[in-house]
Amino acid sequence: MTTRRDEAEARMRALHAAGALAASYPELAGLLTALDEAPPAAQPADDACDWAGRVLARLDPGEVLAAHPGTPVVRVAVTGRATAAGIVAPLTAQLARHGMLMIPYSGGHGGYVQELADPASGLYAHRPELTVCLLDPLTVWDRLPAPWQPYDVALEAERQRLLLAELAAAHRAHAPEGAVLVLNTVPLLRRFTHQLVSLDQRAELGAVWREFTADLLRMADPAAGVAVVDAEPLTASGIRADDPRLGVYADAPCTARLLAALARETAHLARARRGAAKKCLVLDLDGTLWDGVLAEDGPERVRAARSLRSGAFAAFRRIAEQLAAQGVLLAVCSKNDPEPVARALAAHPDWPLNADDFVSVVADWGPKADGIQKIAAELGISPSSVVFADDSVFEREAVRAAVPGAAVVPLDAEPALHGERLLADGWFDTPTLTREDRARADRYRQRERRERQRTRAADYAAFLRGLRIEASAAPAADGDTARIAQLTLRTNRFNLTGVRLTAAQVARRADDPAALVLAVRAADRFGDDGVVGAVLVHRDADGLHLENYVMSCRVLGRGIEDAVLAGLLRAARRDGLPAVHARWRPTAANEKLRGFLTGHGFTAVPDDDDDGGAIRCRHDLLHLPPAPDHIRLAFQWHSHLDRTGPPAHGRGSRSGGPADGRGSEGAGRQGSSRTESGGTRRSRGTRERA
Amino acid sequence: MQSVVDLIQLANRRLGTELTAHDAERELAEVPCWDSVHLLRLVGLLEAELGRPVPVAEVLEARTLDEIWTAVSGAVSDTALSGAVPA
Repeated sequence: MTTRRDEAEARMRALHAAGALAASYPELAGLLTALDEAPPAAQPADDACDWAGRVLARLDPGEVLAAHPGTPVVRVAVTGRATAAGIVAPLTAQLARHGMLMIPYSGGHGGYVQELADPASGLYAHRPELTVCLLDPLTVWDRLPAPWQPYDVALEAERQRLLLAELAAAHRAHAPEGAVLVLNTVPLLRRFTHQLVSLDQRAELGAVWREFTADLLRMADPAAGVAVVDAEPLTASGIRADDPRLGVYADAPCTARLLAALARETAHLARARRGAAKKCLVLDLDGTLWDGVLAEDGPERVRAARSLRSGAFAAFRRIAEQLAAQGVLLAVCSKNDPEPVARALAAHPDWPLNADDFVSVVADWGPKADGIQKIAAELGISPSSVVFADDSVFEREAVRAAVPGAAVVPLDAEPALHGERLLADGWFDTPTLTREDRARADRYRQRERRERQRTRAADYAAFLRGLRIEASAAPAADGDTARIAQLTLRTNRFNLTGVRLTAAQVARRADDPAALVLAVRAADRFGDDGVVGAVLVHRDADGLHLENYVMSCRVLGRGIEDAVLAGLLRAARRDGLPAVHARWRPTAANEKLRGFLTGHGFTAVPDDDDDGGAIRCRHDLLHLPPAPDHIRLAFQWHSHLDRTGPPAHGRGSRSGGPADGRGSEGAGRQGSSRTESGGTRRSRGTRERA
Repeated sequence: MQSVVDLIQLANRRLGTELTAHDAERELAEVPCWDSVHLLRLVGLLEAELGRPVPVAEVLEARTLDEIWTAVSGAVSDTALSGAVPA
């Protein structure tokens, strides 16, 4: 029987033979995904992917970019204590599987200390966005003279940790802004533990090592540009960590499978960093969420715990529930009649996951691709932000063909493996979780109530007025940076320039006296939406430059995006600025914003730079666009520091400022009116510049 | 696997190299499509293909594909080698 995987391998080999891999690069993501699917038990898991990685690692990235200039590029540097070059090929394949093109740099043999410490090293000359510092299983042990005691291991491990902390600081200083250093924990080998013959000392060594592991994991800090991949879940899944022969003869201790597993996790990290995290999990019902067929067995029977398998489905539902608690939107797409589905999903104390947990349920007999499009439209997200899990090959293939970009999770007849399959690709991984994430499902439900209200209101303007929207834009507080970074990452449709920032970059901008980061908040009578948008600006002698403007798709269409821009222009005029400069830069999803700036009185200006088809615009502040009258906007860009006087240091409204939360909305409005009446004329930017 | 030609085919199929029979005697350092990283992987591939361990140090010291084949095929009768490390 020819499988999807065999077909993909044959196709990929044909492309390779024809020298057409670069020309067909966009097709490779799908082929690699198929190659990556669980192979027949007889075949070693990573063979086809390993081959693909080696072939792709030899492609000239320039050739790929010449054929497909829009391919997202990741500049990666690889270094390590021992030979680390082995991770280049699997990482190339894993990044290609997620549609990215790796531009690699592989350092000299084992020179990670020099490469990371020296600002003039080849590693930094590569300007990496991602630096993989591979810590192999001989890390620490290579520096221990025999005989050793657990205490000696603890000392050497601590030295290693301090060294890594220094190197991480150096990386932060010398790598491009926003770059991430990826470390990994070090698997503890039995041939070390069992060199201690007394059981109590052996246990102590185990404890010492776990402390080292814990210390390494605590170095993970997205804001500081450090990520740590935990190797233990990988080795626990059955991946052998080292080959002693290659370790001693070639100084390449890691097995190919460990390198492949680390590469997989690193690619997920790269994807999360690019803001490509998926937003919604669309689940099938029969054979996915429960045992049996609803249309045949009826709601009571599919819900009854009548077999061993019921426990496996319950465990899978709990995983979905766990994801939902962290902001993953859950939806159902099932070929069934709606009424029995509603009965089967009705709340029940013993049943994890019920109707309340799903933000959308599509139960009909149409194609599932249509169902997914409908769910995405309802939620205001792109269909490519969807992960679809189904146990039917037919449904999966149909969705793959009709919903490009959506992730499709292959479940099968074994429900006990559903969970692993769903989590295999870390589709929902994100650098940090914010308050907004946890409340996301509630906010979508508010949105649904709003939509219902809208369809009842005959007149859209009357509906908007009835919402009693209150919005504010104010300098971002410390607690907002993670959320704002996330907005720049996750927001695709209303993202004016596609400039994406890490939390560290947002914090740096907030600290920069010539720059300003405004957090946009919104609330209406259905609920508080929290931070829904961000405005990034900087000032110079020409006036104000709008670097990016993002707004969550959750609130689009309510006029908040218009109100905030109008507020910004008004404030710029009141501060006596000569003009506001902005640009729209096309991305895969922001075509609808092409006319946004000109629609608000900006005029396009000729542009010599070829910036990917960007349109540069200027607003002379003579005629300001009207502000939507159904929104009460508190616009404030002067931080409290302007009022209190000490030199601007640290971020704007650290505490008690109008940006701190809903409770101070009123203060924000007053702040705004005071500003607008001319009480404070200088922004942080101008004062620092003056 | 019967000869160095089979070894070359294995490398081409699994490592994506474009070796020909003429490369068997060439110094690996002079073979354009060859990379030292390939050699590390070849150890595991050979062991999977042959179903037995290969003498890793000798394979790593080999300067040509012929020498690799000699090291690998010479080990057939060598029962002293212990089990391979699973890839």
